[in-house]
Amino acid sequence: MSRPRDPAEERLGWLLCTPAVLAMLLVTGYPILYAIWLSLFRYDLRFPDQREFAGLANYASVLTSGVWWQALGNTLIITVGSVAIELVLGMLLALVMRRALFLRRTVRASVLVPYAIITVVAALAWKFAFDPVTGFVNPWLGLEQPWLTQRWSAFLVIILTEVWKTTPFMALLLLAGLTLVPQDLLDAARVDGANAWQRFFRVTLPLMRNAVLVALLFRTLDAFRIFDTVFVQTRGAQGTETVSVVGYHTLVTRLNLGLGSAVSVLIFLCVLAIAALFVRGLGASFAAEDRS
Amino acid sequence: MIKALAAALAVLPLVGCDGQAPGAPVLNWYVFDEPSGAFAAAARRCAESSNGAYRVALKPLPADADQQREQLVRRLAAGDDDIDIIGMDVIWTPEFAAAGWILPWPEAQSQTARGGRIAASLASASYDGRLWAAPFTTNAQLLWYRTDRVPRPPRTWDEMIDMAEALGDNGTIQAQGERYEGLTVFFVSLLASAGGSVLSADDEAPALPDGPTREALRILHRLATSPASDPALEGAREDQTRLAFESGDSSFMLNYTYVWPSARANAPEVARHMGWARWPAVDADHPSRVTIGGINLGVGAFSEHPILALAAAACIAGADNQRLAAERGGLPPTIAALYDEPQVRQTFPFADLLRDTLRDAVQRPQTPLYNDVSLAISRTLHPLSGIEPAQDVPRLRDAIGRALRSEGLL
Amino acid sequence: MSGERGLLEGLFWRAGSLLVIVYALLPVAWIVALSLKPAANLNDKRFVPQRFSLEHYRAIFADAQFPAALWNSIGIAAISTLLAVLLATFAAYAIVRLRFRGRNLVLAAALSIAMFPPVAVIGPLFDLWRTLGLYDTWLGLILPYMTFTLPLAIWTLAAFFREIPWDLDQAARVDGATPLQAFRYVIVPLAAPGVFTAAILVFIFAWNDFLFAAALTSTNAARTVPAAIAFFTGSSRFELPTGSIAAASVVVTVPVTLVVLLFQRRIVAGLTAGAVKG
Repeated sequence: MSRPRDPAEERLGWLLCTPAVLAMLLVTGYPILYAIWLSLFRYDLRFPDQREFAGLANYASVLTSGVWWQALGNTLIITVGSVAIELVLGMLLALVMRRALFLRRTVRASVLVPYAIITVVAALAWKFAFDPVTGFVNPWLGLEQPWLTQRWSAFLVIILTEVWKTTPFMALLLLAGLTLVPQDLLDAARVDGANAWQRFFRVTLPLMRNAVLVALLFRTLDAFRIFDTVFVQTRGAQGTETVSVVGYHTLVTRLNLGLGSAVSVLIFLCVLAIAALFVRGLGASFAAEDRS
Repeated sequence: MIKALAAALAVLPLVGCDGQAPGAPVLNWYVFDEPSGAFAAAARRCAESSNGAYRVALKPLPADADQQREQLVRRLAAGDDDIDIIGMDVIWTPEFAAAGWILPWPEAQSQTARGGRIAASLASASYDGRLWAAPFTTNAQLLWYRTDRVPRPPRTWDEMIDMAEALGDNGTIQAQGERYEGLTVFFVSLLASAGGSVLSADDEAPALPDGPTREALRILHRLATSPASDPALEGAREDQTRLAFESGDSSFMLNYTYVWPSARANAPEVARHMGWARWPAVDADHPSRVTIGGINLGVGAFSEHPILALAAAACIAGADNQRLAAERGGLPPTIAALYDEPQVRQTFPFADLLRDTLRDAVQRPQTPLYNDVSLAISRTLHPLSGIEPAQDVPRLRDAIGRALRSEGLL
Repeated sequence: MSGERGLLEGLFWRAGSLLVIVYALLPVAWIVALSLKPAANLNDKRFVPQRFSLEHYRAIFADAQFPAALWNSIGIAAISTLLAVLLATFAAYAIVRLRFRGRNLVLAAALSIAMFPPVAVIGPLFDLWRTLGLYDTWLGLILPYMTFTLPLAIWTLAAFFREIPWDLDQAARVDGATPLQAFRYVIVPLAAPGVFTAAILVFIFAWNDFLFAAALTSTNAARTVPAAIAFFTGSSRFELPTGSIAAASVVVTVPVTLVVLLFQRRIVAGLTAGAVKG
């Protein structure tokens, strides 16, 4: 398979990749460097004349603030909560999609609906559903609960919305993993007297390990960036603010670019840390599969 | 800024010559989307009376004041020359003025814009000793109550909560407790009624005198933990409270005057028993002081037609258009004399009460950092049920101090 | 015994299927129902409307805001999709078919951007855009959308391209086809499904975005539907435009849902291709 490198081919390869790489560098690489630069200044667009070098003061300000740590905690609550539920639910969904022949096409198609719906729309739909004045949830459950005005019930609604919206994606990734489990292996286990439970945990799950880990990595990083749902449902009130919402408020509402950039850089570092953790956790098996 | 104005003045004759041309400049008026068409009619009228010197195009902003500001501020920070006239919430004056986003009104036009205006409305349009906008509409909360359940309106907050608790299930008080600007309004009104103020006289440092602040916090806490408050209090804004009151299960509501035409249209049964009174006081001997709201018309600093924009803003904010906005849109005027006109009194049967309330009205802190200060207040006080007056007074002072130094996350 | 078990198991999966369908469609049905309630019934807390009315639909199309946002959304998403897929096709072709140093670097860069938190760049982008005059313009949104969808497009296309039997091209040329003919009649039909899938996924991303739209636009000039809905101007200063929000939501949900249902299999293939085969 290995051919000697051809300089013309090398050139063409780079030529074809350059536009994409350039776009990625210009719109993400440069701004993140600019954000690091801005984060070292006292820079508020409402007082543009007072721009001055501030060293690490913005970082000190963020890291000593209760708001940041609470937002980080909230983000982790939402991330862990939604990803954990999605994993279980997504696995069930994947099993249904794989096993059920009844309405198979309808099932597979309807699962894509949450994926295709605009997050803002989904968040509003659930917000109205749980609203004590407008919504149907309270009468159905026989409650009079103002869901989004209390911290933990607000988390519940936010997590529910996230789960509803993204479980299908999780399920599809898991379904792809499920199809890699050979049916004869399962049949053999059944012949050996393993019940459905044992077959799932002893045969299916170990064979799906990589698919599960990849799905978790994608969803965890995605969930950590959560912004739309929280912004629409609570705007960060009731102590549900996430790091992205804090960043948005500081940058866009307060126009405090210095402080906001420090928040941005810290969020970036958090994402790097999570990714590194996963990649390490995925370990050799992921790397091996990646190479193949 | 001044230089820009001078330059614009120099160009004025040219604009005058050009005025009659069919391609008269279009002035963009950014203001919240007014459903009755009163703003559109005012814009049309002024354009006509300008004899073709300008036309005015309405540019609708979101319903929520925080979101209006968010959009405007981003455009103004981007130096947008598309913004000619701004329907400014009263709280934006110092911020927009200090950032150089709006033009100060020259003395000649100021005279017109000041004429006959309620003092509190004028104060809301002034900063640093100058006028920055023409007071157009105003607003203040009144107490709305059920005359069929309550024999006479309560004078103080404690009296109202007692009355509501005695009424049981129907006694509910509707107020705005969500973490947003409305909560700051609530707190500032309570604090002022208790005889305190948020900032020191020079608007540079937090004041928050111990006694009044603690009293204001005590009332907020008492309301939030009373069985008489709506369970949704901590997520309620103006409109949720209006809807809840219209459903008939509440006996008291603190809200703006728009609830009156709304109740008459949507819940005539409730409207029949709807009474109004002055916002409750903190102690019976001192009448309440309520936060003033409303819209002032400012002129964008990057506007290409500042002189025309000033003229148009002055015209739109004039008496005729205030009358129009009052009758059609239900927006209370800033010209005191209008409250004596029969037509206006028909729209606002509570005209005298409203004018008296406005005369005693209090300003929210007049600092360029108001937005941060307001966030600091609503963040510290929310949720209301978690307030502990003794600890929260220093916490509030500290948070506002940080906001005034533009420090820290909010 | 085993027949009974089979029956039970069948029932179990059937019930599961129904549950999945209800789960997926419940909020959609709710927002449709809400949008059809007359204003006076909006707060009746019922799921099924008592009376039907199209007043909210008429209202959103009578106002200038929503049609403008719809047009912006369609235009911006379409142009971003076109550009992203074009650039990604070049890159994916090079990655799959050509051997050059840094091939894995491109893939890794794409992957790291897929993980990048967009909120980290909105501040700098806002500051840059306002100096460059890109604030509140189509281009100001197209650039970030294109960039943030490139990774998805590159990975999806690369996965598809790996499956294409490129040698057919040579075979066609041996049979006397010109290179152009070989490309037109052999390669294009083979690559089209992958390109199309990538385009759908990119379009959905751009159509869905709220953060950039909220931060980098402010008027009808470039504000897209998600931001327009979230910042809807209510009919009065204090009123919540619940009915308009619901109607607008339905209008933007229906077409995309139809596309997704029509191309269900392609999308499933696309969503899983990058992750599993990559």
